Amino acid sequence: MAPKKPEPKKEAPKPAPAPSPEPEKAKEPDFDPKDITVSPPFKEAFMLFDRTPKCEMKISYAQCGDVIRALGQNPTNAEVMKVLGKPKPEEMNTKMMDFETFLPMFQHISKSKDRGTQEDFIEGLRVFDKEGNGSIMGAELRHVLVTLGEKMLEKEVEQMLSGQEDGNGCISYEAFVKHIMSG
Amino acid sequence: MGCGTSAATEAQGRLSEKDDSVKAPSPALTMKAAILIQRWYRRYVARLEIRRRYTWSIFQSIEYAGEQDQLQLSSFFSFMLDNFTQISGNGPDLISHLLDPALTEEEKQATFEGVEVSDSYSGPHISFPLTVSDTNALLSAFKAQQILHARYVLQLLYETKRFLKQMPNIIYLSTSYTKEITVCGDLHGRLDDLLLIFYKNGLPSTDNPYVFNGDFVDRGKKSIEIIIILFAFLLLYPDHMHLNRGNHEDHIMNLRYGFTKEVMQKYRTHGRQILQLLQDIFSLLPVATVIDDKVLIVHGGISDMTDLEFLGSIERQKIKSVLRLPKSFEDVEAERGLEKICGQAGSLRSAGGPSGGTRKRRCRRRKPSSGSSSSSSSSSSSSSSISSPRGASQVWSSPLPSPRVPSPTDLLQLPFLDSIVAVASLAPPREEAGWKQIVDLLWSDPKKQDGCTANTFRGGGCYFGPDVTRRLLQRHGLQLLIRSHECKQEGYEFCHDGQVITIFSASNYYEEGSNRGAYVKLGPDMVPRFFQYQVSRCTRKLTLHQRVSVAESSALKSLKEKLFAHRSELMAAFQEYDVNKTGCISITDWAQATESVLKLDLPWRTLRPRLARLAPDGAVEYQSCFEDVSAGQPVPQISPNLAETLYRYRTDLEIVFNIIDKDHSGLISIDEFRQTWKLFSSHLNVDVDDSAIDDLARSIDYNKDGSIDFNEFLEAFRVVHKLDTKEKQQG
Repeated sequence: MAPKKPEPKKEAPKPAPAPSPEPEKAKEPDFDPKDITVSPPFKEAFMLFDRTPKCEMKISYAQCGDVIRALGQNPTNAEVMKVLGKPKPEEMNTKMMDFETFLPMFQHISKSKDRGTQEDFIEGLRVFDKEGNGSIMGAELRHVLVTLGEKMLEKEVEQMLSGQEDGNGCISYEAFVKHIMSG
Repeated sequence: MGCGTSAATEAQGRLSEKDDSVKAPSPALTMKAAILIQRWYRRYVARLEIRRRYTWSIFQSIEYAGEQDQLQLSSFFSFMLDNFTQISGNGPDLISHLLDPALTEEEKQATFEGVEVSDSYSGPHISFPLTVSDTNALLSAFKAQQILHARYVLQLLYETKRFLKQMPNIIYLSTSYTKEITVCGDLHGRLDDLLLIFYKNGLPSTDNPYVFNGDFVDRGKKSIEIIIILFAFLLLYPDHMHLNRGNHEDHIMNLRYGFTKEVMQKYRTHGRQILQLLQDIFSLLPVATVIDDKVLIVHGGISDMTDLEFLGSIERQKIKSVLRLPKSFEDVEAERGLEKICGQAGSLRSAGGPSGGTRKRRCRRRKPSSGSSSSSSSSSSSSSSISSPRGASQVWSSPLPSPRVPSPTDLLQLPFLDSIVAVASLAPPREEAGWKQIVDLLWSDPKKQDGCTANTFRGGGCYFGPDVTRRLLQRHGLQLLIRSHECKQEGYEFCHDGQVITIFSASNYYEEGSNRGAYVKLGPDMVPRFFQYQVSRCTRKLTLHQRVSVAESSALKSLKEKLFAHRSELMAAFQEYDVNKTGCISITDWAQATESVLKLDLPWRTLRPRLARLAPDGAVEYQSCFEDVSAGQPVPQISPNLAETLYRYRTDLEIVFNIIDKDHSGLISIDEFRQTWKLFSSHLNVDVDDSAIDDLARSIDYNKDGSIDFNEFLEAFRVVHKLDTKEKQQG
């Protein structure tokens, strides 16, 4: 199944003046760091998250992960903290960064080989498919996400899974993956 | 340990029994899987958030750009004034004539007593003096979609007018004898929001005082119901219910933003009387409220000239609409005098030629320009002293030929339908100053930088900075300014270092899911507590994803309509980049071209995937921007150029027609239509020949009786979104 990639991410590698030879629905292109230097789409996203009172074009450290993800990457929280230089928890909301500081962080994350594809995501969910029938128990998934790994809040899990479970509390995970990836 | 883990162990056990070749998931694998799912989910949430944010930007930009388009209309009105075109065959004070409801003598004499309530009326009955059972009856009736009989409406309005006459301009309240005061912001005709506030916070009563900070009407469909409820509580609890005037409590705004239409639709026979009464009532609403001498509550904001003492002394009822210059005397002499001065002033403006061709520079909301730097040199010495201290507004770019300027004449820069008209003022300076004070209170917006600049966006009031706030609060010994007037995503927002609160009470203002509404409670400690809510129209709660998608799709539709309305300009801009005429240009060029035409300051590159298609080589096929939107019905014998113009100015034309159609019948004569259109188009510099207009007029006079149903006419200039139609067809 060809992954439907999020659009701004697709757009990102295109250098600004000359169009690069890339079909619209290509499989995930190799990220070219050279293109970062002329990268208005990233700047737009950065600006959309800028909530400083004087529009200083800055975001807080806490937002950095969100902006990176909004641009189509999917780092773990650990990876984000690492690229931020392991800031102290109290600094996360107070320390600010500008676009020039943000950019290399984004570059680093996007070069990471460990990103995983849609297939990986499906495999991850298949782990919980006990009967091998393409569906998983919502309750089990909820429990895992809240207790294991980079724990999520119950509220977050609720948001994620709402509308996905059928009458028996089962989630068809391939559809689920499509839903998550299409956002 | 939850059941999940034991199930997994069970499963592992089962699996190993069933089939040895299937590896049971190890804890490490489970952990890895969890992390993988979590990282994908976090990405999904972030992408949803960015969509939410650009959706919001789109709504705001379009709202403000729509107001900007009104500049054309305002200059059109002044153009009309200059040229004294006797559209309705009446006297020289054209605007006054057009904008007064023009009651017949009979109507003027009639009172509510003459209005009979027939036996077939099934709505609520109320009696005066009002009691709690009356307000309860009204609330239940409106929840059940009933309409209050015109007689009761008129009676309520008479009583309200009588009551308000004794109110001062500024109301001083105290929390000493009550626990907390609740302050609500804009409601804009959203009855559901008002009912939700009452549900969460309780009805107004002697223990539960409320301040409603203006903009009760327009845009939403239940403005008259809100007014009725608010006025009823006002009469019932006069010391515990307070209403501030907003910029939409203004009959001229109501013409544009829907309240007039709503009243005329719900009250066909008595609508005009009701509107006339409302006109007086709106001007009698107090303009500010002060709590404990510590908190100032006004609808819009303040300016560096705001003076509460002076405000307390002006005659507010004379200012029927802040959009019209104050007139100190009614007789014909004044009108003739006006005519003379306008004649001179008029030639100043028209000599420069209409400003239709140039798009006005838009003040970006987040960084308003410091007006002085861009003041056109052409706004010469005769421009009003009101605007020059802060830098002249950017509206009048046409040069004023000096020889014909009578030097003592002050040209008053007057907001009109969200933009500015320069008209000579006849009012004595004091009244003019009072009028200006009120405009500032009702129209201003806070800005981040220090200083006070003219609010050219809205066409009235100003942008006031933190220093202006500080100075005013200090001067009057106040601690806090609460205002409304601007939609906020969370329903409220602090600014100016916590000295200003914006409170907005209409949730889903732009679209389902666009924003929350909020109200704020203040106790004697003056620490504000906020309460948020969101009206949900669906019985089944939408997920966050669905809400964002709904709002986003609505925003994108509006954006596409904007593209459609500016198609020829956009195509011209695109083609400039497309030297080889391939039909494609780079994404950067496309983004630049679009911004240069539309000037909405939106993140075009991020939006591009939703608006235009890419060619196989990654360039933008710019024609695809317009594919999704097409004209609703084909209008025969009409050139595409004319169609586009009509489409773009559809809302403006609607206003003009509504004004000309004095009896609100929906019909205007062919002659009126032709004249209006000619003036309008010549002012817009649109090249349309007379015969095309005549043809158009004749073709829309469907029953050939010499009159045009302009609503039908305007219907032809709606657009449809092809995707919508496709979806509907697919069921």
